[in-house]
Amino acid sequence: MHGQDLTSEVIFGLGWLYLLLAVMNGIWTYRAYMAGPARHDHESGEKGHEGEHWEDGPSLAYTTVWSIISMGYFLVAVAHFSGTSDPEAFLIRMPEFVKSAVDRLADPALYFAGSIIAFVLVVVLRRYLINPTTAWVLLNISVVFMALSMTDYDFRQIVGKPDNVPIVSMLFIVGYFTWLYFRRAVDNDDRIAAGKSLYEQEDNDKVLVWPDLVYTELICMVALTALLVVWGIVLQAPLEEPASAVKTPNPSKAPWYFLGLQEMLVYYDPWMAGVVLPSIILVGLMALPYIDFNKRGNGYYSFNERKFAVLTFMFGFLPLWIGLIILGTFLRGPNWNFFGIYEPWDPHKLEVLNNVNLSEMFWEKMGRTPPVAPSGSGAGTQFLYIMLREWLGLVLVLAYLVILPPLLAVTIFRKFFARMGFIRFFVLANLLLFMACLPIKMLLRWSFNLKYIVAIPEYFFNI
Amino acid sequence: MAEIPDRKNMTTADILAFCRAEVASAQSSAPEAEPAAEASADEEAWEVAEESAQAEAPAAPAKKPTSTKDILAAARASAAGGGDKPAEKASAKPPTAKKGAPAAKPTSTKDILAAARASAAGGGDAPAAAAKPAAAKKKQQAAAPAAAGSGEKPSVKEMLAAFREERSAPAVAEDVPEGEKRPPKMPVPPRKPKKKPLPEPVAQDRRAFLAALLVIPSAFAAAWVMLATTTAAWGLALLRFALPNVLVEPPSKFKIGPPGDYDFGTVSTKWKAERGIWVVHTDRYKGKNVIVALSTVCTHLGCTPNWLEGEQKFKCPCHGSGFYVDGINFEGPAPRPLERHGIAVAADGMLEVDKSIKFQEEMGQWEDAKSYVEV
Repeated sequence: MHGQDLTSEVIFGLGWLYLLLAVMNGIWTYRAYMAGPARHDHESGEKGHEGEHWEDGPSLAYTTVWSIISMGYFLVAVAHFSGTSDPEAFLIRMPEFVKSAVDRLADPALYFAGSIIAFVLVVVLRRYLINPTTAWVLLNISVVFMALSMTDYDFRQIVGKPDNVPIVSMLFIVGYFTWLYFRRAVDNDDRIAAGKSLYEQEDNDKVLVWPDLVYTELICMVALTALLVVWGIVLQAPLEEPASAVKTPNPSKAPWYFLGLQEMLVYYDPWMAGVVLPSIILVGLMALPYIDFNKRGNGYYSFNERKFAVLTFMFGFLPLWIGLIILGTFLRGPNWNFFGIYEPWDPHKLEVLNNVNLSEMFWEKMGRTPPVAPSGSGAGTQFLYIMLREWLGLVLVLAYLVILPPLLAVTIFRKFFARMGFIRFFVLANLLLFMACLPIKMLLRWSFNLKYIVAIPEYFFNI
Repeated sequence: MAEIPDRKNMTTADILAFCRAEVASAQSSAPEAEPAAEASADEEAWEVAEESAQAEAPAAPAKKPTSTKDILAAARASAAGGGDKPAEKASAKPPTAKKGAPAAKPTSTKDILAAARASAAGGGDAPAAAAKPAAAKKKQQAAAPAAAGSGEKPSVKEMLAAFREERSAPAVAEDVPEGEKRPPKMPVPPRKPKKKPLPEPVAQDRRAFLAALLVIPSAFAAAWVMLATTTAAWGLALLRFALPNVLVEPPSKFKIGPPGDYDFGTVSTKWKAERGIWVVHTDRYKGKNVIVALSTVCTHLGCTPNWLEGEQKFKCPCHGSGFYVDGINFEGPAPRPLERHGIAVAADGMLEVDKSIKFQEEMGQWEDAKSYVEV
C-alpha cells in the first residue's frame, strides 16, 4: 500500500495548488494594503462599501501578517516543485497521528451529530463568520486541509475520482453562498434594528438589461462553456466494466446528487425512501409559497425577520441533503460500510449491524414469540394476526402523524396556527414531521439497532 | 336580474326555449302571474330571490313604472346586473339569469326574448309570472308560427321560421314610442347557467363558425376516431413488443449436478453469474439439513449481494443489507429474507432448480417441500 503512497506527480500538482494559494493570499494582502495603510497615506476621502467592515481599514500589522502567510505558501510551493528524488521521503504530508485520530472518529452517528452541531454553530456565530477575514481564514484552512489530505493514498482515491470533482467544488460553492447569505442578512438585520434603509434599497445596483445584463450573461455563457469543454477533455468520464445483472460494483454509489437519497435508503424501505419521501420533498418545496405567511423579508436578505423559514430550509438542505451527500461520497465504502476518510477500503471490514424490528423487540420483552397466524388460515385471519403483531409500531406511527400536529398547534406552534389557519398549518406540520422522520429513524437505528417501526413484509409495507 | 335581451345574440336554442315557454304560458292563466312578488312565491322563484336579494330591489320599482324615468332606471339597473351593487362589481360577478324580474311592461321583442330566456332558466313556469298580458299578446304573435307546428322537437324549418321572425322583429321595436324605448344596450356579463345550462350567446360571426360545426361534425368525429385508432394501434404494437416470439434466455429449469457436489456448510457461487442462484447446503434454518437454491437478488432494492466466506454472510454493496448463510436477513435495511427457488432431485439423481417459482420465508413458503432437498 505504501509503495503507491505518494508520487512525484501528486507532489507536483500540490505545488501548483500551494502556488495558487500564495497568489490568492498575495492579492488579499494587496487589497488589504490598498484599503488600509495605503489609503491613509493618500488621505482618500470617501469610504467605500467594503470600508464599513474594515472599520478604519486594515492595520499595517494585519497586512504584514498576510504578506508573511503568502510568502510561506510560496516557499511551500517551491519545496513541492523542487521536490526530492524519492517521493516517499517527502516531508510535507498529513501527520499520521492526525489521520488515525480522524479515522477513529469515523462513525455515522458522530458524523451526523457533528454536522448538526456545525449547522447550529454557523447560525449562532454568524456575526463572527461574516467577517471577511474569518471567512478567508476558513477558506485557507480548508484548502490546506485538502492539500495535506491529498498526500494520503486512500483520500486521493476518493477525491481524485473524476466524478467526485463536482462534489469537492460543491462543498466550496455551498460554503460560499451560505456565507454570502449570512453576510447580507446580518447586514440588513443591523440596518433594520438601527432603523436605516435596507442594503437593497440604499445600494440599489439596478442596471440596464441592455447592455449591462445581456453582456454579463454572454460573458458568463462563454466562460462556462469554455470551462465545461476543458473539463470534458481533461477529466475523462469514469466508464466502468460492462453492466451485469449479477454483478454489482462494490460499493455501488448513486450519482453524487442522489447520495442523500441512497443514505435515506439505508434507514428506510425502498417504497418509503425511494418514492414517498422524495415525492413529499418535491411537493413540499412546491407548497412553500402557499405555506409561507410571513410577508416580511420579501425581496431582500434577512435572517431575523424569517428565522423559522430560513432555519427550516437550511436544516433540510445543509445537514440533511448536502451533509448526506458528503457522507455518501467520502465516508461510505465497500458493502456500504462506514470508513474514515484516510481508511483503506477493506471489503471485509466487519461492522456489527444486527438490526431488529420493533415488533420483535416488543414480543421478546413480553417474553413471547410474535403471534403467527395458524397455517392455512384465510387472508382475513392473517391480516388480523399481522395487525396484532405490529400493533405497537402502528400505534406509534399513527400517533406521530395524527396526534402530534394538533399537539404542536396548541403548544409551540400556537401563534403559527392562529395565523395560518387549519389547512395551511396542518400541511406545514405534516411536512415538518416527514422531514423529521429521517433523523428520527437514524437516531433509532444507531441507538436501538431498530430496523423497522412497522414491519409487514407480507404486504411490502415497512416504515 | 334580468338581462337586457339581445336579439342579435339569440341562438336557435333560445328561440326554441322561447317557443316552448310560449306554449306553457298560453296554458297557464295570465292573472296568476300578475305581480312579480306573487311569482316569487313559487319555489323556484324563491330560490332566485334568495340567491340575490339585492336583485329584488330594482325589480320592485320596475313593477309599477310610473314614468319613463322609472323605466329607464329599472332598465339600467337590470343592465348593470347587480341591483344595489355598484356597477363596477357587476362585471366581476355576473348576475344569474332571473325570472320574474324583467320590467313589468315588456314593450318590445327584447323583453319577450328576455322572458323566454328566463323561462328557459327557470324551468318554464316562471314566464307566466314575468309576462304581463300585454307581453303575452305580443309573444303569441311572435311565436305563433313556431308554436303552431311545434311538437316536442321542432323541425329545422320551424327553427328557421322562428329565426326569421326574430329577424323581422326590429321593425316592431322601432314602432315603440320614443319614451318607452329602452336605453342603449349595455355590456352584459355572461350568465351563470341555472338549472338547465343556457347556451352562451354568441356573436354573429361566431355563429357562422358554429353553424359550420353543425354542418361538418363528421370531420371532427373522424379526426378523433382516427387519432384514437392510431394510438390504440401503437399501444397494441408496444404490447406485442413485450411478448417476443423468441426469448433469448436460459430455460428456467436446469440441472446443477448431483447433491454430492455441494458439501455441508458451503455456499456454491458457481451458478451466480450464469443463473443467478446460490446453492447452499446448511442446517441453520430450523435444524433441517437441506440444500436450497437462494436467489441472488437483495430483498431491499434488488442489488446483487456478495457471499463473504470469512464473515459467513451475504452482504449487499448498495445499502449494506446482510443475510446469514440460510438467507435470513439480519443487518441493514433488507425487510425480508432472500427468496428460495424451487429445487428437486430429478429422475437421474441430479439436482434440478426451477427458477420460475419462488418461496418467501415471511409467507411461510419455506415449509413447502419443493423449496428444498433434504439430505
